[in-house]
Amino acid sequence: MKRILLQDTSGTLKKELRDFYVALNSHLRDNGLNDKAQAVLVADIGIYNKGIVAKVLPEGFVYAGLKNTDIALIVEKTILGGEKVAALALDKKNRQMRIVLRNCGIIDPESIEDYIAQEGYQGLAAALAMGPEKVIEEMKKAGLRGRGGAGFPTWMKWNITRGVKGDEKYIICNGDEGDPGAYMDRSVLEGDPHSVIEGMMIGALATGARNGIFYIRAEYPLAVERIQKAIDVCRTRGLIGKNIFGSGFDFDTEIRLGAGAFVCGEETALIASIEGLRGYPRPRPPFPSVKGLWGKPTVINNVETLANVPYIFLKGGEAFGRIGIEGSTGTKVFALTGKVKNSGLVEVPMGTTLREIVFEVGGGVLHNYAIKAIQTGGPSGGVIPEVFFDTPVGYESLQKLGSIMGSGGMIVLDENDCVVDISKFYLGFCVDESCGKCAPCRIGGTQMLAILSKISQGKGETEDMVKLNQIAQAMQKASLCGLGQTAANPVLSTMKYFEAEYRAHVIDKKCPSGKCASLVSYSINKERCTACGLCARNCPVNAISGDRQSKYTIDMEKCIGCGNCYEVCKFGAVIRQ
Amino acid sequence: MAMTREELNALKTAAQAKAPANWIRVGYSTCGVAAGAKEVFDVLVDEIKARNMDITVKKCGCVGLCSAEPLVEVNIDGVPRVFYGKVNKDIAHRIMDEHVCQKKLVENHIYEI
Repeated sequence: MKRILLQDTSGTLKKELRDFYVALNSHLRDNGLNDKAQAVLVADIGIYNKGIVAKVLPEGFVYAGLKNTDIALIVEKTILGGEKVAALALDKKNRQMRIVLRNCGIIDPESIEDYIAQEGYQGLAAALAMGPEKVIEEMKKAGLRGRGGAGFPTWMKWNITRGVKGDEKYIICNGDEGDPGAYMDRSVLEGDPHSVIEGMMIGALATGARNGIFYIRAEYPLAVERIQKAIDVCRTRGLIGKNIFGSGFDFDTEIRLGAGAFVCGEETALIASIEGLRGYPRPRPPFPSVKGLWGKPTVINNVETLANVPYIFLKGGEAFGRIGIEGSTGTKVFALTGKVKNSGLVEVPMGTTLREIVFEVGGGVLHNYAIKAIQTGGPSGGVIPEVFFDTPVGYESLQKLGSIMGSGGMIVLDENDCVVDISKFYLGFCVDESCGKCAPCRIGGTQMLAILSKISQGKGETEDMVKLNQIAQAMQKASLCGLGQTAANPVLSTMKYFEAEYRAHVIDKKCPSGKCASLVSYSINKERCTACGLCARNCPVNAISGDRQSKYTIDMEKCIGCGNCYEVCKFGAVIRQ
Repeated sequence: MAMTREELNALKTAAQAKAPANWIRVGYSTCGVAAGAKEVFDVLVDEIKARNMDITVKKCGCVGLCSAEPLVEVNIDGVPRVFYGKVNKDIAHRIMDEHVCQKKLVENHIYEI
């Protein structure tokens, strides 16, 4: 029996689709084909703005831009004949490629048998057979770079730690994921814990570490639980412990919980936190690879980086190096959030363009508003406007645009988002999370935030923008750690690409996106108002009054500018200025 | 006792051979649980028990389409394998009635991933 899936997302014309569905069903019924094919309305096929889209299973043919007159042909050729109708067919390109998320959603994370069935721990066995030098060679061929933010080549990091003499070394998995909107590490820890453990063991083999530590934030209870269960089962099965696979390699690992301070994602602060000290960063050198945890050589890798490693030793470094683009190999998981239709995790090969990620994988902007920009890299990253959306994603290409890859957060902004408001949000996050140890970050951040608040309240002056730039540069140069050095990036990149919008706030005292409450005022157009009262019911401060006869008015004294009335009004009667 | 490579390979072969023919996977990461995966999982397990069917229900990680959680992937002989998104108790019952028993796909909840 064949199934004809019909996509029913908000992007399609409801009536046309309804007619098509009815016509298809009657055609099937009239021809006595009800036991040959089932027509099903489905929520999503993954093709947008192409009219009526259908997919025929089990063949998987995708047809787009369908009309009722095509029904007879599809039924005759595909349903009865099992052939593709080439004229209607659409090649659906699968942009995603799963390496890090290869097992997520496929295996039971609490079952080691499930992981072993998917070639689990075979990468470790291969690495053990190679020995440390060859493992590093293989990693060099793969070209894997750190997925936590800075993008330092993993083989180099391992090689440096390997080169440092010491009888005791540590490998730490950095699971202190704190960027707003990024959660790929949590998903990997929860969905495929063994792959991270296996990656860590290969890293330990390469660097000479015999002890591993998972530093995971306490806000991720499920991730902690699953990693703990995975470690326990590895221990009882003899996958970690002494003389692993009879190779003479010993390894053990444990979990340390972080209390969720953003600065503890920074290597030196993370180490201090594990040692039971306050999570303060310290000046480098000495680097952790020389003097890290308990003063011993320590290598710190991000969760996603480690999850890549077993795959490299299964398929070979060269095969991995062929994925992606020059300088940025492999895939990257992005947490696509904000004003996008399909929010969630996407994994694409490096070199995929931002436009493909947002519009093809993500399905475009929510409610079909115009897209304005995309924020990448969290509070250390920047905002990339729509004109640069054809840039292939890679470490260097994003840096050139004034943003960073970061841990892979991607927040889609539409025309209703105000850049001043966005930079205020990110800077506010960094000010809250600043540890306060160094003055540029502590004072600079607070001062910049004060200026941004002034601007968003309509009290900005022209020299404020100059001041913002000066403080930002001082912070970049003089801050002790990455948090302060990059905290100003969202402000700098928005000022670079959206200067006009800042000027509108400062000079015209207007917020073009209508987001900054002090700069917008709402009123009701009596001619359009139908006196339905929806705005009054949705006003949180009861600033709207009126009745059926006199219609409704907004009391500007009480109005807090939240914009609820503007959003709920179905007749466009609420005016925003 | 340390595991040997032969034991690992034996485990792999055994685990691959044991793979069930009919299965249902429920997205059971934080995103899924927050959206109500537990309820859905319980309904599926209870229904299968009540109907005395040979179907394995498994808790899995997140496939990525977090906006459509709870996600349920259903693989039953004779029906194409599909993902159902935004599943609640009612849809879980319908999956059992329509997809599993009548071998008909349930409308409006399929997501292609």
